[in-house]
Amino acid sequence: MSGVGPVEPGEGTRASDTPGPDSASGGDPRLRPREALLSGLVSRYERHRRAALAATAAALLLAGGGYLYATRPHQLPPPAPEPAPPPPYPSQVVDVAYLEPAPAPRDAAPRSFGLTVLVSVSAGPPVTVTRISQPYAGLALTPEPLPPLRIAAGTARKIVITMRVTECGKVPESAGLPFLDVTLRNTRAIEVHSYILGSRYAHALSDGLHVACGNDFR
Amino acid sequence: MRQRSLIAITAALAAGALTLTACGSRGGDKGSDSGKGGTTVTIGVDAPLTGDLSALGLGIKNSADLAAKTANKKNYVKGVTFKIEARDDQAQPSAGQQNATALVADKNVLGVVGPLNSSVAESMQKVFDDAKLVEVSPANTGPSLTQGPDWRTKKVRTYKSYFRTATTDAIQGPFAAQYLYNDAKKKKVFVIDDKKTYGAGLAGTFTDEFKKLGGQIVGTEHINPDAKDFSAIATEVKKSGADVVYYGGEYPQAGPLSKQIKAAGSKIPLVGGDGIYDPTFIKLAGADSTGDLATSVGAPVESLPSAKQFVADYKAAGYKDEYAAYGGYSYDSAWAIIEAVKKVVDDNGGKLPSDARAKVTAAMQNVSFDGVTGKVSFDEFGDATNKQLTVYAVKNGAWAAEKSGTYTG
Repeated sequence: MSGVGPVEPGEGTRASDTPGPDSASGGDPRLRPREALLSGLVSRYERHRRAALAATAAALLLAGGGYLYATRPHQLPPPAPEPAPPPPYPSQVVDVAYLEPAPAPRDAAPRSFGLTVLVSVSAGPPVTVTRISQPYAGLALTPEPLPPLRIAAGTARKIVITMRVTECGKVPESAGLPFLDVTLRNTRAIEVHSYILGSRYAHALSDGLHVACGNDFR
Repeated sequence: MRQRSLIAITAALAAGALTLTACGSRGGDKGSDSGKGGTTVTIGVDAPLTGDLSALGLGIKNSADLAAKTANKKNYVKGVTFKIEARDDQAQPSAGQQNATALVADKNVLGVVGPLNSSVAESMQKVFDDAKLVEVSPANTGPSLTQGPDWRTKKVRTYKSYFRTATTDAIQGPFAAQYLYNDAKKKKVFVIDDKKTYGAGLAGTFTDEFKKLGGQIVGTEHINPDAKDFSAIATEVKKSGADVVYYGGEYPQAGPLSKQIKAAGSKIPLVGGDGIYDPTFIKLAGADSTGDLATSVGAPVESLPSAKQFVADYKAAGYKDEYAAYGGYSYDSAWAIIEAVKKVVDDNGGKLPSDARAKVTAAMQNVSFDGVTGKVSFDEFGDATNKQLTVYAVKNGAWAAEKSGTYTG
């Protein structure tokens, strides 16, 4: 060792170990028992210094450990199960697609023609189609089968739309993006949603109207 | 000196205890570990962050930022941290092109969200395409951007790096025409546009369909995008006997136009597209705007559970500005880029390849996920396959959904 560090005093070399002037002179007799007690404790500590240090360290460790244990992050109670998400709005899970022209029913009125559409439901509770309509004046619509039609998720229903021209002067000769209004209902909501069926449907509708009306457009 | 030993031991133990306590409290914040990636990928954003259209542009920027932060928090692409680099185009094509060049020069940029304006997009497309840098617009509705200049007769995709989550004016204009003619029973329309790519294009698709349905165009006018005084046009509208005005353009002009038309004595609704669907329109147009209409892309937020989550997250993130009309589409645009980056990283053993930009652009074509606005995927032209539209009306000083439609053709 290089001698670095404090030199430990030997027993009896400390100021506190040396009898003070009071004790030498006898001093106040009332202090003697306390001094004697203190002196006894100190000498006992000196005799059991290592044990005392170890005990203190152990106590501090216990106290520290206890503190850490007491202040540990408490296990959170298991989170309450998430409430089931509400069913989707029907328009978000229903698809309506135009398939092909269809022959008009035998008992259909004059100036009638048919168009087949496919209504499918992708997810959620069953959806009921309660109404199908179209917005043009001069044109009436009858779906077959008749609503209400209940369609389960993952399934589809073909519906034949029979269009009947009631007044040629009021129908659009060649609408670019005609649509069907479909009323949908599920356990979440009732919605009227427009389905814009694209250019094939637009052409089929226009062809049907031309056949029905010839040159009687406005 | 023995006391000093005791003090030293006590201090050491106390220090140890404090250290352990500190560790314990940090361990509870699991989110702090997220986002530590070896590679930083930048998602560029281009939008008008200043000027009249900044309400829309800031919503785009913040929503893209939210997507990046969400991906980082979830550690969605392992080893990759996303960040946003937002640039202000001030709704000007020239500024947009400069921004595109700057974003291309930054090699960390692997995708760009934006822009807002179709006219700005036209100036950026080639710059991005030459660099094979993918661009996903949440708001461009001009049909020619994806389907070429002759989209009415022959659809041809010009730029393979361009995608959009918003639907096009080829659907939006006719949808408005159908609603006005059939549902609102309007037969005589005065059409005004601002001569810009978006406004003129939208007015054109509306006019075509309105005429096909049997409606009458009783007047047309074009305005200067910088103008604020429309009193001459308002007088013309009054004289024309129109029962509705259709405006192709954006809210900074549409608001005062509506106000001045009503002030001139025409108590008829002004109708526009997604460019006027913003609360600022109502502020500018005043109390008489009740009954004015706008079509906008997508379904109303309240009908989409995924959008509700977005709204809550946006609020929790503490952005100062509203997410506005394109917030959900901007989040989905950024998330589409994140999905494409994920695909490229996963296919390359967990690392970005050297030709990451080209691979991300190629991966975008097949991206498919459930986004804020519904299913997000792209068709052969780069257009969104989800084509929903909603008509909104001004009621009690706010936009209220009237009717929604889905294009399924």
